[in-house]
Amino acid sequence: MAKPWYREKPKPYEEMRREVEDAYPELRFIDDGNRIILQGWYLLHEGSQVWDRYLIEVTLPTDSPRGFSIVREVGGRIPCIADRHVYDNGVACVALEDAFWFEYPNGLSLLEFLNGPLRSYFASQSLIEMGETEPWPAGEWAHGAEGIFQFYSNALSIKDPLVILDFLKLLERDEVKGHWPCPCKSGEKLRKCHGDSLYKLRSRIPKDVAARSRVRFQKR
Amino acid sequence: MTENEYLEAILLQQTLAPGSPELKELQEREEEVKSLLRSKFGTARIREAGSKRKGTMVKASYDLDLTCYFPHDDNSAGETLKEIFEGIEAALREKYVTSPKGSAIRVWDGTGKTDFHIDVVPGRFVDGNDGDVFLYRSSGDKERLKTNLDVHIDHVRDSGVLDAIRLTKLWRERNGGNVKTFALELLVIKLLEKKKNEALSEQLRHVWEQFKEDGENLTIEDPANPSGNDLSELLNDGIRFWLSSTATNTLDAIEQSGWDAVFGEVESDKSQRVEALRRITVATPIRTKPWGNG
Repeated sequence: MAKPWYREKPKPYEEMRREVEDAYPELRFIDDGNRIILQGWYLLHEGSQVWDRYLIEVTLPTDSPRGFSIVREVGGRIPCIADRHVYDNGVACVALEDAFWFEYPNGLSLLEFLNGPLRSYFASQSLIEMGETEPWPAGEWAHGAEGIFQFYSNALSIKDPLVILDFLKLLERDEVKGHWPCPCKSGEKLRKCHGDSLYKLRSRIPKDVAARSRVRFQKR
Repeated sequence: MTENEYLEAILLQQTLAPGSPELKELQEREEEVKSLLRSKFGTARIREAGSKRKGTMVKASYDLDLTCYFPHDDNSAGETLKEIFEGIEAALREKYVTSPKGSAIRVWDGTGKTDFHIDVVPGRFVDGNDGDVFLYRSSGDKERLKTNLDVHIDHVRDSGVLDAIRLTKLWRERNGGNVKTFALELLVIKLLEKKKNEALSEQLRHVWEQFKEDGENLTIEDPANPSGNDLSELLNDGIRFWLSSTATNTLDAIEQSGWDAVFGEVESDKSQRVEALRRITVATPIRTKPWGNG
């Protein structure tokens, strides 16, 4: 098994650590031997005014400094239910991974992730607690397989779930040929039909992410 | 607003936001003193060691501690601990106003523009492991003590009672107490050892009840050297009396007038908070749509 990036490249890791600790002095890095976790108070502030705070635990991705971090709210404040965008095991569903990689194919640095998606996610959670309606300004994906359907349906402009499943299978493949028939059943070759959309998805969404979505979608 | 919502609101008021003027000043001063020490003592290992690293900063009390430790076999700053202490103080005096405070040298900028101060703690590592250190003591019976700053910091950071420590520090400030932060931290951690999962209001009540009822018998020990360092001078009779009498007054005040009498009123404007949180949700440079594993 490959070594985690932070063990392979201690210098960039130290730089990242300093950058994050300067910006978030109430978060600290903990190395438990197997993984690195960022733990402590995540502050929602505007200028000097702190409006709210959440006790969080962020497990750093092992594959890349710009990978997808796993976040948990560990203060017991947010219930672990889909309506609050939290998995049963406490992991925050900050984003649909497929959509995340499609939008940010180079990933995000830890600081970008903390300053961006996480900030918006927790501020929205505070608004929900205060009884506010429409707390998610960027919108939200439907739960489970329905959210996966929404994303690929938008990206491919296709409404048929079985066709989307065929496209998901192509996302997992090592190679896709332009002369293959397009899964949308138009009778056209892929290159003359959904080829561009498929290529864009393949170039951005990692195969393992697409494979997980396909399995979940298949159960739908 | 419940007691614990009130205390959470007080903690938010007392939290230093990243990029706030207070933190910027702290960082600027830290860099200034560090670079002066580095220019004079190239072999010293200089680190931040105060409430910022421990995670116990509150707006009312957030001064800076820096350690300046030399390798165990390095005599460049002096052969004895006393010489190291005096050498560092002399170097700092070229730019700042200084005065010895126990094992530390207290540093002010001397311009009168700010009352902000920094405590610089000189020392020498016991061996090549860069862990335990010998510190010089400018007052007290012993001239040196052996301790370990990383152990102190971990002891506080991993205590699980950081919010109680923060509020107890604020309580000290609001009541003009001069009990040392280190002693207060050790007391709170010890008294709450079996109460980590209790509500913050109950934790504070317990701490004050112990101060009130058992003030004479309170003891603390250095987590880095439990039997070697006598910390009794940090809890002298005057300090014990202050802890006991102030805790008594505080508990009475809560009974009679509620928690506002301890930490003051909280500005609670829901619409202002909602507006701010809405601004935060849209102002973030990178946003994602959340999903749910339904």
